Amino acid sequence: MTAPARDHAALFSPEGVEIRQVSARLITSRLINNGVWTLLLFAPGVVLTVLHSPWWLLLAVPPLVIGLWIALLVPRQVRAIGYAERDDDLLVRKGILFRSLVVVPYGRMQYVDVSAGPLDRRLGIATVQLHTASAGTDATIPGLPPAEAERLRDRLTARGEARLAGL
Amino acid sequence: MDTTTLAPAVATEEALHWQRLHPATPLIRTWTSLTAGLVALVWIFTDIGDPAETMSTAGDYLAWVVLGAAAIVLVLAGYMYVAWRMMSYAVDDEAAHMRSGVLFRTKRHAQLDRIQAIDIRQPVLARLSGLAELTLEVAGGADSQVKIGFLREAEAQRLRAELLAKAAGIKLAPAGSTTSPQPGAALAQSGETGFAQGQAPSSDGDAPGTAPATRARTPLVAPEAPEQEILVVPPGRLIGSALLSVGIALTVLFMLAMIVVAVFEPGALFTMVPAVLGAGTVVYGRFAAEFNFRMAISPDGIRVRRGLLETRAQTIPPGRIQAVQISQGPLWRRLDWWRVRVTVAGYAQEDASNQSQSVLLPVGSRAEAYAALSLVLPDLGTPDPLAVLDAGLTGRSDKKTGESVDAFTPNPRRTRIIHWFTWSRGGFAVTDRALLIRDGRWYRYLQVVPHERTQSLCVKQGPLYRWLRIANFVAHVPAGPVAPVLGGVDQDVAQRLIEEQAARARAARATDRSERWMQARAPEEPAPVPPPEPTAPEHGSGGTVA
Repeated sequence: MTAPARDHAALFSPEGVEIRQVSARLITSRLINNGVWTLLLFAPGVVLTVLHSPWWLLLAVPPLVIGLWIALLVPRQVRAIGYAERDDDLLVRKGILFRSLVVVPYGRMQYVDVSAGPLDRRLGIATVQLHTASAGTDATIPGLPPAEAERLRDRLTARGEARLAGL
Repeated sequence: MDTTTLAPAVATEEALHWQRLHPATPLIRTWTSLTAGLVALVWIFTDIGDPAETMSTAGDYLAWVVLGAAAIVLVLAGYMYVAWRMMSYAVDDEAAHMRSGVLFRTKRHAQLDRIQAIDIRQPVLARLSGLAELTLEVAGGADSQVKIGFLREAEAQRLRAELLAKAAGIKLAPAGSTTSPQPGAALAQSGETGFAQGQAPSSDGDAPGTAPATRARTPLVAPEAPEQEILVVPPGRLIGSALLSVGIALTVLFMLAMIVVAVFEPGALFTMVPAVLGAGTVVYGRFAAEFNFRMAISPDGIRVRRGLLETRAQTIPPGRIQAVQISQGPLWRRLDWWRVRVTVAGYAQEDASNQSQSVLLPVGSRAEAYAALSLVLPDLGTPDPLAVLDAGLTGRSDKKTGESVDAFTPNPRRTRIIHWFTWSRGGFAVTDRALLIRDGRWYRYLQVVPHERTQSLCVKQGPLYRWLRIANFVAHVPAGPVAPVLGGVDQDVAQRLIEEQAARARAARATDRSERWMQARAPEEPAPVPPPEPTAPEHGSGGTVA
């Protein structure tokens, strides 16, 4: 899909698995977030430029450039996030430049978090995070519609209980 | 197995049989700070001014000091009494409970089948007064362990045996009857068949004789599991191993240099003070924690005893060790010494500072390291375990071609662009029971992760790795000294590995019965019903929701 070449993609899209993408509303959410931060960092430099000297532009321009760069990347990043429920485990994939694929067995789940900030609630998306006994497990799925998030949570919990193992 | 009475699943707090701890508990808990306070007070009062000035009022002054001291002692004693009254513990069939606190009450309980390890700790003062503290490790993050103590030594041991027996799923005979079945005798025998057992120099200990002795002393409800000593680390070797580290070697070099400098400039000698103090602290810390290190096996699991002033007897039940690492620094190579460390959930949090708690073997020969590993994994799941392990410890891929010369799949030769010196060591091997990862050229290590213990798996690839067609493969295990990462594996191999490992871990989990390990291994009982398999509709429903 988004991968540059087939052989790399193979590592991150296992055969016979349909990977589901997250809601495009996550793009909006991340763009707004990015915009706010860029403005916050950009504004002081602009104010100082107006009040004092144009040299302050040196302070204002980098955040603007970085902000715009991130804004360009966000849609692709969001499209790169995917997950799949298999019979016994959940796959979570993310990243374009630095890619990762996590396989979390249902029986290893300790608990599932569903969270949504004020902006995400307004946009109608939520984040589901799986926790295992290992702190290294980074299985976070952002940008799920609330109904899908709840369905996923219930499903994961149910499957986790069915396959519950100790540590 | 004659009584099958099960307590109600959830006992109310009143229904539990609460027991008091030893009255000296608050004193032993606080004596270090009390002593510090006392020293500070004495120092203040003896340093009040020059005697000539206070001579006239000396009598008065002394009286006040005595009165004040008496008041402080009374208040402290009163507080300790109240604190002691509030502390109590209880054990039922499901959990161990502990409550304490005067103003802020805390009540904790540890689910018995979730216990990861039980330590009996004896700080100096407790050792002198014959007391001990039980620490139940549960995998609940920072500061989650349940501490029951202090108790009399015999009582602590009895409680440990009871907790382990209940956690193992053994139905205890009613109190008073000491004719309970010897639950783990079979397992103790099977422990002898560890693959490297024959090589362990001291494996044929006559330990079984010790178990009846302990039972005779205290009439136990739960018989203390018979244990068999595997090895003892002699103090000389322990000191030697601590001194033979690169840090110490550099310190010694630095000191020699300073001595040379001191010939011309005596003041340079003072720069040695911090270096000597630092090195001394490190060496002493290891020596004190790992002195008299003994490892034994019992049906309750692995027993480790160690400590110079404060002693600790750790019991790690079967299946509680999440990962093993056998490692060696450059200066140990000539002696073929190895250190074995393990990840036990719950240990990492308590043990952030000195890590001695996760040590399964502070220093030992290769055969002893294998013996230690065989306690964790009696069956490595390969026909020739010694060859595989040797390859894991010291093996390297062919220098010219990067081809494999042993059981390990080495990382491709092209990874040398990133791992200049270690590329030929990097590699992995998969057996029926575990994933083995080796790496490190000067600090060699071999990580062993049993399939049923992996939490989740991960592959990662950045742009450089993508260009090299390699990836990082990570097996997630609970926090601890072992972080199994396979750095720079061929990407096609990584893809196969993550699929196969997921399947192997699933299969291994399905047969893993370490939760109530005795129930699972008792031969006359059929294995408990595995967790309910998913009902048909759930199968293959990966993408049913559109």
